[in-house]
Amino acid sequence: PGTTETPTKILCLNQVVTVDELRDDNEYDEILEDMKDECGLLVNIIIPRPNMEGNLIPGVGKVFLEYADTVACTNAKNMLGGRKFGGNTVTADYYPEDKFYSADYSG
Amino acid sequence: STEGSGRKRKSRWADDEPKPAFQLPDFMGGIEFDPEVQALNSRLLEISRKLQSGLPLDDRNEGARSPSPEPVYDNMGIRINTREYRAREKLNRERQEIISQIIKKNPAFKPPADYRPPKLHK
Repeated sequence: PGTTETPTKILCLNQVVTVDELRDDNEYDEILEDMKDECGLLVNIIIPRPNMEGNLIPGVGKVFLEYADTVACTNAKNMLGGRKFGGNTVTADYYPEDKFYSADYSG
Repeated sequence: STEGSGRKRKSRWADDEPKPAFQLPDFMGGIEFDPEVQALNSRLLEISRKLQSGLPLDDRNEGARSPSPEPVYDNMGIRINTREYRAREKLNRERQEIISQIIKKNPAFKPPADYRPPKLHK
């Protein structure tokens, strides 16, 4: 329900990373690096991380990729959707721009 | 910075990219090179071409054909199970069956928009 069929500039990769991976600073850096390496030219990348208290943070496990335009985003969607990242099959959905720009990652 | 430039870490991205063979026939590598999938794909292309060509689908000679079934008419009195119609239906069924098989072998395969998955019979 949080995603949209209409192309936006934001691509949301689902079920990509686990909470444990995100807690570890090194793993987090590597994940960030892997994303930047293979996701094309990015404007911004947001990987929500769990906080120290271990509370459930909206969007943890997802990766949000911001592209310069919807065309670049659509290309990335076709390129990344269905690929495997760390053994998980990545699904890629367009994410509403207004939610992304207001830092709402609840999906 | 602790970022070593010579670091050779394996990316978490898998190397193989199962991509829909139907949309990217020239894609090199992956499941498309499975000979069975290739055979299915080329038959699928052949059927699609036949269906779109507008040419008669059943070009066998009179003598080579099995007897026609009883005619079936729609409520306008137009015969619906013509030879052409039956040939088209047969090709359509084979096409759907081939797509099902390709999907089984390559779940990432994006079927054409008019593909309907087979109904599950109880």
